Amino acid sequence: MTPDLKVTIAGVEFANPIMTASGCCGYGEELAQIFPLSRLGALVTKSITRHPRLGHPPPRTAETASGMLNAIGLANVGIDAFLADKIPFLTKQKTRIIVNVAGSKLTEYVEICARLNECERVDMIELNISCPNVDEGGMEFGSDPMMTEKSVAAVRKVFSRPVIAKLSPNVTSIAQIALAAEQGGADAVSIINSLVGTSVDIETWRPKLTNNKGGLTGPAIKPVALAMVEAVHASRCRLPIIGVGGIADYRDVVEFMLCGATAVQVGTSLFVDPSGPVKMVKGLSAYLKKKKLGAASDLIGKVRKYGT
Amino acid sequence: MTKPTCEDTFVIKKRNLGNDYYSLTFAPYPRVEACRPGHFVHILLASTDVPFRRAFSIAGTDPENQTLEIIFKVFGRGTRLLSSLVKGDTVNLLGPLGVPFRLPGRNQRTIIVAGGIGYPPLLYLAVEMVRRGYTPGSIEFFYGGRSAADILDSRRIKRLGVNFHPVTEDGSLGQKGLITEPVERFILDSGTAGLRIYGCGPEGMLKATDGLGLKYGIPGQISVEAPMPCGTGICLGCVVPLVKGGYARVCCDGPVFALGEIAL
Repeated sequence: MTPDLKVTIAGVEFANPIMTASGCCGYGEELAQIFPLSRLGALVTKSITRHPRLGHPPPRTAETASGMLNAIGLANVGIDAFLADKIPFLTKQKTRIIVNVAGSKLTEYVEICARLNECERVDMIELNISCPNVDEGGMEFGSDPMMTEKSVAAVRKVFSRPVIAKLSPNVTSIAQIALAAEQGGADAVSIINSLVGTSVDIETWRPKLTNNKGGLTGPAIKPVALAMVEAVHASRCRLPIIGVGGIADYRDVVEFMLCGATAVQVGTSLFVDPSGPVKMVKGLSAYLKKKKLGAASDLIGKVRKYGT
Repeated sequence: MTKPTCEDTFVIKKRNLGNDYYSLTFAPYPRVEACRPGHFVHILLASTDVPFRRAFSIAGTDPENQTLEIIFKVFGRGTRLLSSLVKGDTVNLLGPLGVPFRLPGRNQRTIIVAGGIGYPPLLYLAVEMVRRGYTPGSIEFFYGGRSAADILDSRRIKRLGVNFHPVTEDGSLGQKGLITEPVERFILDSGTAGLRIYGCGPEGMLKATDGLGLKYGIPGQISVEAPMPCGTGICLGCVVPLVKGGYARVCCDGPVFALGEIAL
């Protein structure tokens, strides 16, 4: 018997729990050259802002031990060009489409989400209230519970389909922020965005990124992401969790689901193996079979913690 | 655009080209037929020290034997690890990637400007042109380095029958000075009609080559490099500024750009 890989978040069914992470696959066009996007549970787009953004000058990335720092600077085409040029391609893809939204003012988030609401093909939006790399990148919204609740509530009013809040790990209590997102009316949370970090060239004494700091991603942050997923799952917050951070193969997917994630997003590892998600879907299926489990959803939150 | 794939392949030959320069040949590489001069491959070394792939211009292929060659200088962790590979070791190649060179017209004359370790894609270009029946005598291969030790495989270039012009800063091989000086003299002597320039090398050399093209109205292309996490266009990490404003991705909008396109 083939295990059932389907998962459901806020009433929306996904073919499998593997999604791409925002900012790691553009608008899907390049990845579609590598594998049919129908193999994904969902494609999550790069952050869309009100106006086009060129992004930061290079260098924008630096390799670290088991990971990388990036400060791309929310480079994107802006909502007008996104709707005109990118949505037609995305519409043809046989996968769920989640559009990530960023802004510098609450009115920008609201305006973008109102326009995305008109576009039926957009299954969900994911609010980037956690970008560490631009002053106006939303982290101020996501590092304060009141602001989190307020921004989610404002967007909730103009977008009729599910809203995901993507949370920052650069906070004292991520569970508190997740609760605030729930109170604001979010339907799910993505945990985590990148961790603030930096790196310096010892010859030139310059930071390795022109932004002086960046977001750490990749396998290096997986243990942090897992602990935060688990913390939110164990909290009073009842929202479904999408786990993000250093996921590179099906074993990582299983770990995140055991810690409470309903689905996962794959980001930095796409840079190493762009066809990774396809392998993860196969690997997850084989794992469930081996464990004699009928469905991927049987894994959610089943970690057997000590002392409980 | 050629669809890139990930392929495991083996090191079948390793040569030390003197100092820290190496040539590695991989086989069987099933995508050889899709490779063109200017394309690059993104090599995974699978080490926690080097978590990401490393991009290398293709230095040559042999479709019959399904081999692909890269030439590199040991520079950092990735190239050091690569230089430690031995015959039989496995690597994973993502490729072929990027926009390749556009070959010149049949009746045109070609100036190749290779600076230091910018040489490999231009070697491939010259070999491919000769293989396709371009007159070797219509190709001027300028190759510059600090000293003779930085001019790799000069016999290989001479064997092609192209006009070979080595240039070294210390005068230990060929003409003494910077490569763009004899290139400019050649342009002035021969006239600009039907000329095409192809360049790859350090930033200063690319800038000077770009400047020569613009100064004399000679079209051409340069290949540039940048630290490159993904190679497929999804991470937006490897951008270079454009003259018209904004940025282009080296990995998929390049690495080959027209002269005058990039703000060098």
